[in-house]
Amino acid sequence: MGRTVTSITQTFLKERAAFARFRRALRNSDQRVLDDLFASAQKHLAASSYASHALPFETFLLSMLLEEHKEIMRLKREVAELRHALQK
Amino acid sequence: MPSKNELRGWLLDIYADPEQGVVLWMLDEDGTKRHRLHQPFPTSFYVHGENSDLRSLWRHLKSLSFPLRLSRVERQDLFVEGPLPVLRIEAETPSVQEILFSHLKKQYPGLTYYDADIPVDLRYAAQTGIFPLADFRVLASEDGEVQELETFDSPWLIDAPQVPLLVMALSPDCNPDHREPTALKVHLGGKHYRFPFREERGLLVKLGALLRRHDPDLLLTVWGDNWLIKKLHELMEKHHITLPLSREQGRGVERREERFYHSYGGVIYRGPQVRLFGRIHISTENTVMYHDYGLEGVFEMARVTSLRIQTAARVSPGTGISSMQILTALRQGVLVPWHKQQVEWSKSAYNLLQADRGGMVYQPTIGLHAQVAEIDFISMYPSIMEHFNISPETVGKNGTNSTFVPELEMTIDQDQRGLVPDTLQPLLEKRIKLKQALAGMNPKDTRYRPYKARSSAHKWLLVTCFGYLGYKNARFGRIEAHEAVTAYGREALLRAKEAAEDLGFRVLHMYVDGLWVQKEGASQINDFQPLLEEILDRTGLPTSLEGIYRWIAFLSSRPDPRVPVANRYFGLFQNGDWKVRGIEIRRDDTSRWVKNIQQEMLVLLADAEDAGRLTEQLPHIHALLQSKLVALRQHNVPLEELLISQKISRTLEEYKVPSPAARAAAQLADIGKHLIPGQRVRFLYTRGKPGVYAWDLPRQPDPGSVDTDRYAELLCRAAFTILQPLGVEEQTLRWWMFTNAGYGAAPGFLSGSCSQQTPLLGKLIIDSPYPEPTFL
Repeated sequence: MGRTVTSITQTFLKERAAFARFRRALRNSDQRVLDDLFASAQKHLAASSYASHALPFETFLLSMLLEEHKEIMRLKREVAELRHALQK
Repeated sequence: MPSKNELRGWLLDIYADPEQGVVLWMLDEDGTKRHRLHQPFPTSFYVHGENSDLRSLWRHLKSLSFPLRLSRVERQDLFVEGPLPVLRIEAETPSVQEILFSHLKKQYPGLTYYDADIPVDLRYAAQTGIFPLADFRVLASEDGEVQELETFDSPWLIDAPQVPLLVMALSPDCNPDHREPTALKVHLGGKHYRFPFREERGLLVKLGALLRRHDPDLLLTVWGDNWLIKKLHELMEKHHITLPLSREQGRGVERREERFYHSYGGVIYRGPQVRLFGRIHISTENTVMYHDYGLEGVFEMARVTSLRIQTAARVSPGTGISSMQILTALRQGVLVPWHKQQVEWSKSAYNLLQADRGGMVYQPTIGLHAQVAEIDFISMYPSIMEHFNISPETVGKNGTNSTFVPELEMTIDQDQRGLVPDTLQPLLEKRIKLKQALAGMNPKDTRYRPYKARSSAHKWLLVTCFGYLGYKNARFGRIEAHEAVTAYGREALLRAKEAAEDLGFRVLHMYVDGLWVQKEGASQINDFQPLLEEILDRTGLPTSLEGIYRWIAFLSSRPDPRVPVANRYFGLFQNGDWKVRGIEIRRDDTSRWVKNIQQEMLVLLADAEDAGRLTEQLPHIHALLQSKLVALRQHNVPLEELLISQKISRTLEEYKVPSPAARAAAQLADIGKHLIPGQRVRFLYTRGKPGVYAWDLPRQPDPGSVDTDRYAELLCRAAFTILQPLGVEEQTLRWWMFTNAGYGAAPGFLSGSCSQQTPLLGKLIIDSPYPEPTFL
């Protein structure tokens, strides 16, 4: 509605659509992983919007990394806890 | 002892009179007599342009037959530095001014006009300080000409005086859109009357007698604007009987045609309008947000905007706030532009990227959370405008005391008070006072309802005020002011987030002007008070604790359960109130049957003592769904409860693939009932083609034709919305509903249904697991 700069959600959808051919050529199992990555980026659209970066895709990549690292940290913690439990 | 021509009472109505200037109707203080007063009211407007054009205009005006007073003066245009030389044209009456302006704008379209299209109620309010329902005193001559006038009232008083209006309620016995009404129901002074339409003459005579004998101040009608008044006029013409609908004799009624327009992506339908002279006509179905704030809210709108009551009842809040700004401008002697001319400043790409954004909208942490507090900024955007002096004429100006807008390379002049903040200040103050009074008030208190109504009328004015800063047709709009407000809004919300995190809270969600926070051990109002104070300290803006949720569920998007949605949640406050957003129960196009069941599910959940025991309610929900499905399949659900009501968004020819609503509208068009975009159509889903049955067709549909599978599917979706946060997967729910699978155990205990440890058992629920994506 009368906006000059497209909203972050529109940008996100456009960027994701731009990878449709890439996604299509992936194996079905990989497609689902890719969808997960895009879902991670979508969780941080507010931050991407606030950053108003000239290349918004960079913020999407960073969001994906962020969620990945969060998951690694969670898994590390879980491994440590399990190890601790085994040692008891 | 008051002299013979001194009167005191309330202002009922005000309008222009071609000869007498302006006419006022007063209800005197004991509520028994009504007085028609009048006053000469010379009306001016201003024109700016090239000297040569103005000279030619002057000559043209001199050649006209109207007696006019012309002069060259200097006035202030808000968007121009320094005083502006203009031609002042004063007509003898507001009616002459109106005719003259509509003539000039065609003859001299290149000139700039000011104060040219201002309604007479606003002009009179600006000059005298009087407003609808105001308590005032006049000295009048024998024939009712006002000599002196004084008000004892202010629109900013919390307790408005109760004006003893005599109300006559008129309603046909059914909705004329659906069936031809057979009788007119009248309610007046505690008595009920019923006049059949087939006795046409008798109806007119009896109604006329009631109007003459009681002379009511307000006609409160249902379907009055779009049907009743027109019907009465047809009968009057046929039988040559005149009803005194207007109190002013010989004035008839004022009509406006129906129309539709686009607003925020939706189509809004506005019905035709009928206004009276000297008597107030309010047609409830055509009164904007009547259902929200009722008659009390309409009066409040009229008092704070100074618009005639009948106008205030029918205008959008946008026109309301714009009228208030016009009033401020008139009082300050600032010119009111006819058309907005200012354009957006040029910006660098970087600045545009920074500026052209809206409020901060977060993606909430999906799942169920216990002991969550919701903190809202009180009227955030208006407070920002008022607090930081944001107005079209203050943004981008440098004074001795300028402030910098966060993120944007823009200053705001603090030396002069802006027109917009000046307009907003008393309204905001009144709203905060009302909110404070309401907070500690027993809902049985007689003041509770009127306070609530007034406060919600203000809410709409304040909400639209922000939109009007950026709206291209607003007279006092400037996109940069709009951008400054959102920039301050984002800054305030981020500072609030930082404050919350510094005090050890976890921020679950942020949505433009509210944030949802949680902290282990925090569950009482006092636990959150320090945070409220910290936020006020860091932002300068007041917040209030909307409430503490026993638990709240933030939902994911329907197509992708991994993706959270900002405004889709439901939660139960500690006091037992619900807050529900974006789910079926709140949607206009959900059938009452589905809404009721979703409501019953929520009531069952409310029985759980705490969030950890919610799953104990699942067997009850399972039984509820089963029994409702049986009733549906056995056709034991009344058809009215299955009705779907949807808006048609375009004309029937414009649909490439007709939606169910369009197909239902087409059925109506076949029998000569044509709907226009924005109007709603009610229909049932039926088996076979065309799949729908329009409810307003003359014959009742066969109950056996109802598409029960479709309704079962709609119920399944609504049930899934509620059950998903409890860990129930869609497939499990389908087994429960559509096979004879009995209820086994809560999903949190079943392997594979909940991927992490069973968080539902915990006291404080951290990230709920999201289930594996299901592709439908």
